[in-house]
Order: sequence, then C-alpha cells, then structure tokens
Amino acid sequence: MGFLVTTLIFVLVGIIASLLTRICCNKGPSTNLLLLTLIITATVCCWMMWAIVYLAQMNPLIVPILNEEE
Amino acid sequence: MEYIHNLPTMDLMRSEKMMFVQLILPVESAHRAVSYLGQLGLMQFRDLNDEKSPFQRTFVNQVKRCAEMSRKLRFIKDQIHKACLTPSSNSSSQSDTDLEELEIQLAEHEHGLSEMNANSEKLQRTYNELLEFKMVLQKAGDLLLPSESPMTAQDTELKDNVHISNDYADTSSLLDQEMLNGPSNQCGVGFVSGIIPKSKVLRFERMLFRTTRGNMLFNQAPAYDQILDPATNEMVEKTVFIVSFSGEQVRIKILKICEAFGANCYPVPEEMTKRRHITQEVLSHLSDLKTTLEAGLCHRDKVLTSIGFHLPKWMNMVKREKAVYDTLNMLNFDVTKKCLVGEGWCPIFSKTKIQEALQRATCDSNSQADIIFHVKDSVESPPTYFQTNNFTYAYQEIVNAYGVAKYQEANPAVYTIITFPFLFAVMFGDWGHGICLLLGALILIVREKKLGSQKLGSFMEMLFGGRYVLLLMSLFSIYCGLIYNEFFSVPFNIFGSSAYRCRDATCSESRSIGLVKYHDTYPFGVDPSWRGSRSELPFLNSLKMKMSILFGIAQMNLGIILSYFNARHFRSLLDIKYQFVPQMIFLNSLFGYLSLLIITKWCTGSEADLYHVMIYMFLSPFEDLGENQLFWGQSFFQVILLLLAVIAVPWMLFPKPYILKKLHSERFQGRTYQSLETSDIYTDRDYDSASQSDPEEFDFTEVFVHQMIHTIEFVLGAVSNTASYLRLWALSLAHSELSTVFYEKVLLLAWGYDSLVIRLVGLAVFAFATAFILLMMETLSAFLHALRLHWVEFQNKFYSGDGYKFEPFSFAALNDGED
Repeated sequence: MGFLVTTLIFVLVGIIASLLTRICCNKGPSTNLLLLTLIITATVCCWMMWAIVYLAQMNPLIVPILNEEE
Repeated sequence: MEYIHNLPTMDLMRSEKMMFVQLILPVESAHRAVSYLGQLGLMQFRDLNDEKSPFQRTFVNQVKRCAEMSRKLRFIKDQIHKACLTPSSNSSSQSDTDLEELEIQLAEHEHGLSEMNANSEKLQRTYNELLEFKMVLQKAGDLLLPSESPMTAQDTELKDNVHISNDYADTSSLLDQEMLNGPSNQCGVGFVSGIIPKSKVLRFERMLFRTTRGNMLFNQAPAYDQILDPATNEMVEKTVFIVSFSGEQVRIKILKICEAFGANCYPVPEEMTKRRHITQEVLSHLSDLKTTLEAGLCHRDKVLTSIGFHLPKWMNMVKREKAVYDTLNMLNFDVTKKCLVGEGWCPIFSKTKIQEALQRATCDSNSQADIIFHVKDSVESPPTYFQTNNFTYAYQEIVNAYGVAKYQEANPAVYTIITFPFLFAVMFGDWGHGICLLLGALILIVREKKLGSQKLGSFMEMLFGGRYVLLLMSLFSIYCGLIYNEFFSVPFNIFGSSAYRCRDATCSESRSIGLVKYHDTYPFGVDPSWRGSRSELPFLNSLKMKMSILFGIAQMNLGIILSYFNARHFRSLLDIKYQFVPQMIFLNSLFGYLSLLIITKWCTGSEADLYHVMIYMFLSPFEDLGENQLFWGQSFFQVILLLLAVIAVPWMLFPKPYILKKLHSERFQGRTYQSLETSDIYTDRDYDSASQSDPEEFDFTEVFVHQMIHTIEFVLGAVSNTASYLRLWALSLAHSELSTVFYEKVLLLAWGYDSLVIRLVGLAVFAFATAFILLMMETLSAFLHALRLHWVEFQNKFYSGDGYKFEPFSFAALNDGED
C-alpha cells in the first residue's frame, strides 16, 4: 500500500477514535476539547513515527548484507 | 484563524479562575462555618496573623486541648498495641460526640488505664517475689537437708543461717560436723538464702569469698523455672544460693553485697515442718495472685477493646477540630470584637457551593447575624488550581515537580499526557517488553480499589500512583515495537513479506554486495530482512538519528506555538511580534530546513551529504552545491534562510526593551505628583507588595540584560536542544543491543545444547536478565530521559513555572497528609 493510502488510514482511525470518545464520554465542551486534543496528538505522533520509517525505506542507499554464518 | 480563537476553553489547559474573597464570620457561627468549609475543601485561607507566634494567637488554648487529647489517644492506641489486640476499625457514621464530652471521657479512660497498669505492675512484682520465695524455699530445703538431722536437736528459732558449699561437699560436711559438734557454736553461725540471676553467680561468689576472707560456705542450685524480670520484660534464669557464715559484721557485709548484686534474700526457716508450712502458704498466695492478675488483664483487655472500637472515629474528630482551630487562628478579630474576619482564595465556580455552606452554618448555629462573603481585589498573583481526575493527576504531578504553572499560563500537562509516553516508547520500542509492561499496568489498574485503601511501601506507592502513565507507556511501546519490528529483539513478518531478496537464484552475492529491493516498501515498520545483517547498524543508526531530529523539531515548534497562545491570552502583542515571530523564524530557517532536507533526501533517494550541506551553508554560502543539490534553487534558498536567521537574532534582542521603556515613559509622563490614596486597614499590607513595581523606576539595564539572556538562551539552545534529542536514538540503540545480546548469547546459546537442564538454566537466566535489566532498569532510564526532554527542551520554550499551588483547607487532604 502506498504512502498516501496509509496516511488516509491514519486520518480515518483518528476521526473514528474522536467520534467514539464523543459518544462514550461526553462531559461538556471543555472536556471534549481536551479529549480531542489528546487524540489528535496521539494520531499525529503515531503517524509521524510510521511515516518516518516508511520514507526512510522507500529509496534506500544501502541494502542488507547478510552475515557470514548464515 | 478566527475559529481557533473562538474555541471554548479547554479543560486542564489553564488554571481555574480564582477570586480573592473576604469572609466576615460572627463568633457563634465561626467554628461551624470553618468546619463546613473544611468538608467542602475549596477555600484557601490566608494567614492574617503571620507575625504572631503560636502562643499569641486567639485560640491557642483550644489547640492545646486538642493536642493534649491526641496525646491521650495515642497513649490508648499504644496500650492497645502492647496488649496485642487488633483494633477493629469500623468507619462508622459521624455521630456528633461533643468535643468537651470527648475530652472528659478521654481523661477518664486515660486515668483508668494508667491505674490499671500500675496495679497490675504491682501485682506482678509481688507475684514474682513470691515465686522466687517459693523456689528459694524448695531449693534451700534440699540444700539444708543434709544438715537437718544433727541440727534438730539444737534450737533453731534464732535466725541462724548455715552456709554449705556444694563444691566442697565432703569437706563441708566435715566442717559442718565440726562446727555443729562444737557446742559453743550456737551464736554467730548463720546463713543467708536468696536468689540471684545465673549470670552473676560466679562474681557474687568470688566477691563473698574475698570479703569474708574465705570464712564462708557457698552453696547453690539452679532454679528449675525461669522468672520474668519486670525491668527487662524477659525470662531470666536464676540460681538459688545459701551462704553460711559466722559473725554479725560478716552478715551485714554479706547483705550489702547481696543488695549490690541485685540478689533477693528471703528468710528460710531451718525446720522442715515450718518450711513446709510456709511453702503451703506461699503456694496458696501465689494461686490467688495469679487469678487476680488474670482477672485484671482480662478486664483491661475488655476496656481496651471497647475503647478501640471508637478510637479511629475519635482520632479523626480530634484531628479535624485541631485543623479547624488552626484555621480559626488565621483569622482576625474586627474592631467590635464580635466578628472574625478572614481572607482567602477560592475558585470562581465554587462560589455558590461556598455560599450555601455558609448559609447552612448560620442556620445550624442559630446565629442572628449572617455571614458576609464578598469578593475583593488582590495585588498578589492567585494560586494555580487544576481540576484533575485519577488519570490526569499523575501527569500534573510530573509537570508540577518541575514547577507549578503561573496563574493562567498554558499547562504543558495537556500535551505531556501523550508525548511523554510516546517519547518513552521511542526509546523503549519492543513489543514483547511492551506486553510485559502492559500486564503490569493492567494488574495495578484492576486492583485499584484494593491497593488504594492499603498502605503501600514508598516504591509501590510511586508505581501505583503512575499506573495510568505506565498503561500509556506500554501501549505506545507495543506500537513502537511493531514499527521497529522487535519482539524480544526478534523480527517477524507480520505485515507481509520482506521487500528484499537475493539478486539471483544462487544468492552468491548476498554476503558481499547484499540483497536487492524488488518490491514495494515493507508497509508497516522496519523490514525484517535487516535484522542480523552486517549493514543493519549503519541503516538503523541513520534512520533513528534523523527520526530524533524530526521529533525534536516538531516538539520544539509545539513549544513555541504554545508561547504564542500564552502571549495572546495575556494580551502581550509585544511578545508576539518581537519574541514569537523571530523565534519561529530562527528555529525553522535553520533546523526546520534541516528537517526538510532529510525528508527530501529520503523521498528522492539522492546521495547528498547533509552534513556537508549544513556546514557549508554557514561557511561558504555562495558556493555551488554540486552533487549535493537536492532541489532546484537550493543555494539561493539557503542564502535567504541564512539571512533570515541572522536578522532574527537582533529582532529578538533589541526592540522589546526599547519599546517597553517608551511605553513606560508614556504611561507615567504626567505623573509628577503621587496621588493620595485612602488608607484601608486591610490593604495596607497589599501596598507593600505593590511597591516593587515602583512607578517611578524603570531599570532599563535590567530589562535589557534579561532580554539578552533570553535571546542567548534561545539561540544557543536551538543547537543544543536539537542535539539533545539524539538521546532518543542513543537509548533506542542501547535497548535494542541489550535485547539482542540477551537473546542471542543467552537463550540461543543455551537452546543449542541438547540437555534439558542447560536449556532451563538458560531460560531462567534470560528471564531474569530481561526482567531486571531490560524491564526495570531500561524503563527507569527511558522514563528519566523522556522526563528531561519534557522538562528542559519542551518547557523552556514557553513555561515559566513560578506559580504556587492552590492548597485549600480540606478535611480529606488532612487524612491523606497524616497517613
């Protein structure tokens, strides 16, 4: 799967998570905003981690060189 | 932009709004009002009697009474503990026993208990003495027996004591015979019988021998029973002795020596019948005493149990009363001496609750006058109050450990909730270890109620307090472990096949030139082919270092953006224009550009040397990039960025102090006279604190130096903080290597052998090493480094942390504090 497709999946997961928290724990607008912030932060962090590792492997400059024993 | 500015306020982002209130309490309802406020726990009283010593305060007598009562309660608790009774703690309802009644009751109980204790001590002593007497009688009877027959003829009504030494048994009888045969030996020959602790017998005998110059006979026999020594409360072995001597002077000396050595002397009649008679008496006396003692103990235990039933409730009550009087001591009497005046802080949202509590107090105490509660202005900064729940409490404590937020500034805890466990996970990434941590966290959370009511050791308490932090840390660790593709350092092909394969069917070149990428990139995480290859470390190091830089720049940018929101909240346009903007420009034109280069290099697969690019951007910016060029127009772009960065530094440094000076002189231009202020007794003290921002003085050098320090800190910090984020790489590498070593060199090595014993031993060593080194030490290490990244690199972009915490007068906090 490509980069953009997986990015869209992350965005989708984030939206679903925020909708779920809105349904389960709806305790007023200020709390909702806090929960939304937390979910956005978590989604962005996780996406960044994935994207960095994916981009680094897209056009590699070195390849695996197996060890002697194997 | 307007949408962002019009959003509702976020929970936990800024401190609750506080207001400074003044309470006027009539004397009859003051006590009740303060205790209701204590139950509510939302008001922090200011100590208006700061200068007074504790003995000058109004309610010092009541406080002393409470202290006295708690001393009595502690005494009773001690007694219960000594009697080895388990206190039946029942948290019964608040049946309002009056404080005076309680005082009287406690005095009675204490008096009764001390009396009981004294009596039982006396009885115990008498019992001991009688026991010793009984033993002396019995043993002395044996010792005296050989000399019985010849002596019955003589008159033994006198207190004659014969010494018989066991050691010289043969010679002694001869001596005896000699002594007794002599008719003139009636007077002057006597014996002293008694009992002495076994450890002192030898010295005692030697001392007697020396003082009597050998003219004595010492006979001893061990007592068959151990006796309870009342002083040390333990069982001591004793020896019965009989010293025979001659002469009255010697007797006095011997008695003195007995006293010195702590030997108890008891008179033993020589006649057997008399002895038997006395023994009977003593035995009956002993059994009487024993029953009395037991009855006494039984009674005391009953009394203690009945008191112990009420004890926790009483202790609670006394604690609360003392707290209420301490708070009342903080208030002032007003001019008419009929009201108490108090000042304090409370959150604005609690206004109705407080007013309702005060109303209730007025009703309950049947007071005629209402309690007055009104808002005042205050010069000093309000305390900071964040409403936290079980989940956010731990994170708020983590942030508060560095410094409590200034009133109404942005709270880093909001982002720390996610970024702290996430950065921990970047350094800890292994989904096998993550699952272990998750199990631990789940155990703590599931047994929350049970563990919460127990008293835990300090380490367990910290662990229990951070259970939700641990939960998030473990979840993110599992995620990062899946990305790094490490399960106890073993990679798996969970997300499809590897993207690499041999160049040809024979795989002949796989060990020299390596594999080739024939497929699309491995969809999630690090390709499993890397593990174990020779080029694994160069690849992973490059990946993790660049990842650390990217995360660092992202978090620092977040910090600077938070400083923008702070500036906007405090309406400081100056800060926005001359601090936020140049800081953003400086950081992003240098290190944001580096991030851009990293991403571009990854996307295009170019072989440009980024070190070279960055360094020569400064050293020779107009030089042609040659083969290090990543995109068209790069050198021109670099020159622009360099210029922007160079301009940003004086932009941060110079304008703000000059503009502040101009604003200050504009504001106080016309003020050549100081205006008369009406003196208010309560705000007199407030003016002292206001004098520091004296309107006439504006120290320009101080402001300028402050700004210079701030600028230098930011500029140098931009480089050092970015480099500091490389610890994410370093710890991740260490964790991965340790994990690999334990797996390959312990588990695989042991599994290579055929013997079951070696395999089990290897498994055990692997388990211990993983648990202690990786799960405990690495967790603590990664925790600490993630904490440092938050406290220093993230928070110094926007956080001032010089506020003080809101500590309301609350009964609930009292219990937590004392326990």
